[in-house]
Amino acid sequence: MVHKKILHGLDGSKGSFNALEEAIELAKRYGAELHTVSVEEVPHYPGTVGEVIEAKHAANGKFGQAMQQAKDMAKQAGIDLHCHVFTGHEVKTIVEFVKEKGFDLLVIGFMGHSALYDRLMGSTCQGLARLAPCAVLVVK
Amino acid sequence: MLESPWLIAALWIGLALLASMISIRVGISVALIEIIVGVVAGNAIPWVGSLFSTQAKLETTPWINFLASFGAILLTFLAGAEIEPDVLRKHWKPSLAIGFVSFLAPFLGVMAAAYYLLHWSAQASMIAGVALSTTSVAVVYAVMLETGLNKRDIGKLILASCFVTDLGTVLALGVMFANYNWWLALFLGVSAVIMPFAPRLTQRFLRRYEGQVSEPEIKLLLLMLFVLGGLAAAANSEAVLPAYILGLVVAGVLRHHKETVYHIRVAVFALLTPFYFLKAGALISANAIAQGALVILLLLLVKVAAKFVGVYPTAKLFKMDNRVSMYTTLLMSTGLTFGTISAMFGLNHFDAQGHSLINSDQYSALVVVVIASAVVPTLIAQKWFQPQHELLEENGNGA
Repeated sequence: MVHKKILHGLDGSKGSFNALEEAIELAKRYGAELHTVSVEEVPHYPGTVGEVIEAKHAANGKFGQAMQQAKDMAKQAGIDLHCHVFTGHEVKTIVEFVKEKGFDLLVIGFMGHSALYDRLMGSTCQGLARLAPCAVLVVK
Repeated sequence: MLESPWLIAALWIGLALLASMISIRVGISVALIEIIVGVVAGNAIPWVGSLFSTQAKLETTPWINFLASFGAILLTFLAGAEIEPDVLRKHWKPSLAIGFVSFLAPFLGVMAAAYYLLHWSAQASMIAGVALSTTSVAVVYAVMLETGLNKRDIGKLILASCFVTDLGTVLALGVMFANYNWWLALFLGVSAVIMPFAPRLTQRFLRRYEGQVSEPEIKLLLLMLFVLGGLAAAANSEAVLPAYILGLVVAGVLRHHKETVYHIRVAVFALLTPFYFLKAGALISANAIAQGALVILLLLLVKVAAKFVGVYPTAKLFKMDNRVSMYTTLLMSTGLTFGTISAMFGLNHFDAQGHSLINSDQYSALVVVVIASAVVPTLIAQKWFQPQHELLEENGNGA
């Protein structure tokens, strides 16, 4: 299967950078377009607007650094990287973005939570693998 | 029973730390988690104590009560200061209409239900009306950010309407139970002098002192809050009333000084609001929730139904389609901070006979309804009535 439009989920974690290495390799091999998507999650049911604004600021800073690092990695490999940032629910937003832009491969890093956490809160990897309308590669 | 204030403080801050960690892990606001941790600690500590035949409880001391009240006042001030005056000006007609009915309909509906169906006292019914008339600007704002609607006119209109509703709530709280005496006259007189000058004075302090480590500009704001709050309290009114109005008055100035607002937020979230939200939760009785489940359900239904009666037709009147009108109505049915502040006011204030305006069971029911109203209408709105929108990028170099 030849992939022409690859989306990588960038959350700044070590796992997501491992996945980015893989996504860059695939983009080089297939001559595909490579994009990253980062989703800022704001706290649900906040008590004050300030709580939301500060959470968003913190996420902006974190993703700013991560995007710069990702662009440097792609540049070294001779790949043009397009970065996108949204606010919202991680799984829902990424799935919508995949549909909207017609990506044919989603590459994400594995994020290990405890079994209890995954059971209670659901894992992002599982959610994306189940709902994304394209092939999904989870890199461990 | 703990006697050392340091150990009592350690227990409360330990709970606040736990709440912060849980909040970050699960992505739910620290305010809500602090309330839940407060409920658990407030009910579990006496239960554990009873197993060892000792009387243990989550201690509330005068200084904890002060820090909690101080937290509520600053939360209200920040809520007022977070408004965008230009948005309110641009959408003043529909936001005033929607915000006003969003306050009035549930206020009257819940008050009537509490008085006639639950046979609460007149004063307890009024507190119920005020506590459940609120709308959570913060919950609505978070939803708007997630959907990108905060950048569109409809989102700005809904947010402006929420501010009007909250203004109705603090006015009701400040006016309904006040003693109409000389203290009230003095409070109104001093407010009339301070409020018009507050923006200019604050601006002057910010220009001259912003960036100084001793933060004179924040101390000026605190001075105004304490003077006005003290006079309001002396008149048996509520200190959150002048705090919200002062916030509204200086909002236009503070929006250009984000660093100062950030410093206030850090102090508030780290030191004050944990005491407020933990206390709000600790005062909830688990028994009262179990025994009052039907009361809680009834009050929640009446609150949401009254919001529908008021907000939905008003939204239609301003040419919103069915889906957007439903979405607006559901989001304006949310509540959290101002609802808990109103319920706490009822528990801490006394009538002429020395009885608190609401009892512990009524307080528990009201706060649980407030929390449920933060969650249930939001979920329904996002699941079934979210207006169509495209994903809006924050930044990046998206192609």
